[in-house]
Parts: sequence; C-alpha cells; structure tokens
Amino acid sequence: MDVIPSLDLLGGNIVRLLRGDFANVTTYGDPETVLDSLHVPRGSRLHIVDLEASRSGHPVETDVVRRLATRGLRIQAGGGIRSLDDARTWIDAGVEKVVIGTVAADSPEILRAIVDDLGAERVIAAIDVRDGVVRVGGWERDAKASLSEVLVRVEELGIGEALITDISKDGAMRGPSFALYRSLRTNLRIIASGGVSAISDVVSLGRIANVSGCVIGRALLDRRIDLAEARARVATTNAIPERVIPCLDVRDGRVVKGVNFVDIRDAGDPVECAMRYEAEGADELVILDISATDANRATALDTVRRVSESLFIPLTVGGGVRTIEDFRALLRAGADRVAINTAALRNPQLIADCAREFGVQAVVLSCDAKRTGDHFEAMVRSGKESSGVDAVEWCKQAEELGTGEILLTSVDRDGTNSGYDVELLRAVTSVVKIGVIASGGAGSVEHFRDAIEAGGARAVLAASLFHDRRLSIGDVKQFLASEGIPVR
Amino acid sequence: MKTTLIDSPVANVANIARALRVAGADLDVTREPGTIANAQKLVLPGVGSFIAAMQWLTQNKIDNAIHDAVKRGASLLGVCVGHQLLFDVSHEMGSTRGLGLIRGEVQKFDGVLPVPQIGWNRVAARGPLFDGVEDGVFYFVNSYAAIDAPDEIARADYCGPFTAAVQRDRVFGVQFHPEKSSAAGLRVLRNFIAWT
Repeated sequence: MDVIPSLDLLGGNIVRLLRGDFANVTTYGDPETVLDSLHVPRGSRLHIVDLEASRSGHPVETDVVRRLATRGLRIQAGGGIRSLDDARTWIDAGVEKVVIGTVAADSPEILRAIVDDLGAERVIAAIDVRDGVVRVGGWERDAKASLSEVLVRVEELGIGEALITDISKDGAMRGPSFALYRSLRTNLRIIASGGVSAISDVVSLGRIANVSGCVIGRALLDRRIDLAEARARVATTNAIPERVIPCLDVRDGRVVKGVNFVDIRDAGDPVECAMRYEAEGADELVILDISATDANRATALDTVRRVSESLFIPLTVGGGVRTIEDFRALLRAGADRVAINTAALRNPQLIADCAREFGVQAVVLSCDAKRTGDHFEAMVRSGKESSGVDAVEWCKQAEELGTGEILLTSVDRDGTNSGYDVELLRAVTSVVKIGVIASGGAGSVEHFRDAIEAGGARAVLAASLFHDRRLSIGDVKQFLASEGIPVR
Repeated sequence: MKTTLIDSPVANVANIARALRVAGADLDVTREPGTIANAQKLVLPGVGSFIAAMQWLTQNKIDNAIHDAVKRGASLLGVCVGHQLLFDVSHEMGSTRGLGLIRGEVQKFDGVLPVPQIGWNRVAARGPLFDGVEDGVFYFVNSYAAIDAPDEIARADYCGPFTAAVQRDRVFGVQFHPEKSSAAGLRVLRNFIAWT
C-alpha cells in the first residue's frame, strides 16, 4: 500500500480547492518549504496536480516540477495533459509518470499514442467520478464513456495503475468512498483519492482488493495525518485482528437490555451468556452494571466473580465506578479492565490515579455521547444527563490522563439497530492514538464493517443483537473477513 | 505429575490457576521456596512491573529455588512478566537483572503504535508448546518485549517483530496471556502440562 502525498499547484504555490471550485482556494505556500515541513523522504512517490493546466489544457507548472524532481522524489504529474506533446513536456521536466485524466476518458486514440510513445509503465490513468459518472475537463462536464468502459480501455492498453477520485469526497475530510472502490471490478492497481482524512482511512483502503495506494492532500497539509505514522500503520495492518465484543447489561444479577437506556427487559443469565459468547468467538466481554446503586454493588461483584470463573477471554466491567476502591474491587473480582464514566467526568484525575495504581491497560474510558447541535456532548448517569463537556475533547483529555482504550457509545443510536454513528466514531478516532470500541446502534453485519472501515474503530460492540440471536458473533466475523478486515 | 504455580503477589495468580486447572493441571499454588525447589513442573506468572516482580523473587529467595528446580530437571513456564523475568536483563526504568535462564534482553516497544500493546495479535510459532496452534492469535498486554531472542520459538509484530515465546531446554516463556487467549491459550497450557 503506497501512501502518496498529493500537492496541487496554482500560480507556483501549493493550494487546495474545495470540491474543485476555483473560487474556493486555500494557499499553503511555496512547494519546497511545504515538502520540507511534511518530511517527505527521498525516494517517496509524490503526486502533483497542475490546476491551471487542468482548466486551460496545457502544462503550466513545469519549472516548479523540474525543481522538485531534483530532490530524489518519484513524481507523477497531471492536470491538463491533452496531447502527446503535453505528456512529453512533463517527462522532460523529470517526472516518473504522467497522470492522464480527460484524455483517458474521452480520447482513446490520444491515450494510445501516449502509451505507444512513452510506454504503458509511465502512464497512470486518472478517473474522476461523481455519483458513479466519470467527469472530465476540470470536473466541469460528464465524460463520453462510463466508468467500466474507461477501466476496460485502460487495462487493454497495458496501463497498470488507475487513480480514481471521488469528487464529492475530495477535500471534504469525511473519509474516502469505500463503497466505490469496493465495487470496482478490474485487474488494475487502484490508487484511491479524495476524502482521506484519518490514518484509519489509509488502513481501511489497504484492505480493499485492488487498492494498492492512496494519495493524501489536505489531511497532510492540515497535519491531520503524519506521513511516517500512516506508513507504519499500513505496514502492520493485518497482524492485529479487529475485535467483536458482546456486551452484557446487568442489573440485579440478570442480563437486561433497554432501548435508549430506558424500557428495560430481561435477557438471561450472565454466566450462560458469557460462555456462549466465548464459544461463538467473542474476543472480549463487556459487563455494564446498569443498576449500580450501593445496595446492588455486592450483587454486581458477585456476577463479575461468577462470569470470570468460566471465561478465558478478557473481561471489561463498568457501571457506577466512583473511586479507586470500586476499581480495585472489580479487578479483584476478576475484571481485567474497568470502565469509568460519570465519576471521571466529575473528577478527571480519577483516570490518572487508576492508571498509576493499576496500569494504563486496566483503564477504559466509557464515553456516552449525544448529538447536540453540530457537536457531541458527553453524557452522565447512563446517558440521561448532559455534562456540558464536548465528547471529542473529553476523549482526547482522557487519553492524555492515561486511559488504555475508549468505549464510545452513541446515546442516540443505542438499541435502535440503525447503525453505529460513524461521524461520532471518526471525530474521536481521528484525534486519538488509542483504540476506540464502537458501541450503540449495531443492526446488521454491514454496520460492524462501517464502524471499523469508515469509523476507524478497533473493536465493535453489540448487546441486543447478539442476545436476541438475530446475528451470531460468527456471522459478524465471517462477514468482516470477507470484506478484508482481519479477525481472530 | 503436579504443576506448581508460584504464588507471586505481583501476578494474576487466580486467573492463571483457573486456566491451568481447566487445562488439566493437578495444581499446587505456593510461595514456599522448599516446595518450589523440589517441583517438577513450575509456572511463574507476573503482571505489571518487572522490577517489583524480580524484587519479590529475590527477597523471598524464590529466584534460588527456581534455579534449583531447573537444575534438578524441572520444566518451567513463565507467563507475561514471568516470561520477561527469565531473561538476562530488562531495561524497564534503568537495567534490572533477571533470572538469566533465557539469553537476551527485554526492552520497550519503539515506534508509532500506542504502548502498552493491549489486544490480540497473530503469532507465528513452532515447537511442542504450540502443537496445534502454530498460527494462533493470542492476547497481549505489554509495553516491553525481547526482540529477536536467540531462544525464540514464536514471534509477533508490534512496532516491528518481537519475541512472543521462547524455549531453552526445559524452560519456556510466553509473552502473551494464555489464560486470556481462549481455546488457543488453553491449548498452550495443555501442551506445557503434557510435555515431558
């Protein structure tokens, strides 16, 4: 998986256009200064787009590209290559490959002439797509050919690589179009482009068949993604499986399940449920004590003790943990990790204290988040009451204080089976390095995939779906594996 | 044959004991040096700090008891920090000598991934301890590991390859938690119990 920095040039400067709009320009400055600040190593591939050329139809920024080529970068340049002469101009400027867009989609004979002259290995076909339709001429009109026709033509000419951009995602920082790349049926190596805004996007793209690389523009310039970190994560992506975690909401020694934290009903014996889940392949078990009054604490500890005695996977327990002593009691009863929620919001230092006493690996932040206007708010008292704290900021702070992982529940989605809140997940996973467990809303196997692929979650949790046997853990893992996501 | 589990206070003894029993061990849990020195099959658990775990061993003369047992031909399995204790030295906050039963050094993970590693990881293994689970997935919680140990029998990848298990003659160590690794972990414990 190649992670390729992408820089757009306009008037000699590095710029970004929002959704291809020349009236909406952000300028980042001189190319060499920008490259230095991004720590792009020698030997790296670099994608250059000559924006003025893409509009006017002739190479403009050749002098800049010539200077960059002397820095030992493997440059692929494009924008406005309409003829063999244009392509030669770029090759003469020192680029390794030319990126051919409009011509590839609209003028097969010119594409063939370029391939015949330069060799197919020096050509990358660039295909810009909006709503499944190929766009050309600086994204301003529809191409004559369909996406599948263009792909077939490119492949027949012996070209190996196609750069496919989803225009509607480009520069919007909401993630790439995973569905588009997954739907492609081709033997070409695909370079994904548009919307890559978190390291998890790079990892997820690498799991899609045929995708051999991705270009990153704005997210590098805005420091959302560190190039070296992205490359390191991609290198180890398949060693560590993503986890499927069933959750037992427990009250008075029984498993219960409610919708939106209210309307509670009985769902069975915790020990029986736990053993069934381990046998089905659960990677971990979460028990949330939802009664959590002092009177019921002894019952909850007893439940943890009984479950841990017959369980040989990690056990995380939460609900009503107020003090270090509560934390210690749950660990002694057999929990491997303890989730803190309301008490940590009221006293953030509790996270640091528990991390120091028991180790970061034992501390899980449980964050119940609710959409409030254009942001997410951290909720207390089982999602019933707002804390006034921004959920994303709170997760960042908890990571600094010493939490090993974050259990992130969408209060809006919990119990609805309408899908995880992918936007909430992205908002948190793109700003923390520790793992995030997605919770709230699972209803189908695709939901689990989306939470990991688009949401960047490192684990997916569900309760009622598994209790009611609408899906088994095996069903979920089988589907994730079929989508290229590593599971145990 | 009895399996003797060393009852270290710097360990999750109850969890390991439960897993060993389910794996078929006739279990003796003790911190008595004489019993340990005469054991035939020893398990050394450990979580948390290498320094605290090693201090407890030396202050209670358990280190000598373990050496005596191994000299007499006992087999030994170290788990997690118990595995790290088998090495010559650990670089957790300065350098601390270990038991020296396994060659090599334990060092902190160095890379861009979050430390500690918390979670499942795929292990490529060989040898009798991993019979039936040579390509298994095991549960790890660690910030430190040996890298490229000469006695390595299993390796995994986190910020680059690291040693997931070792064997030297009758001394074994596993960096992961077999007691939290479901069927694969129980299989490793069963293999150790059955090994002669």
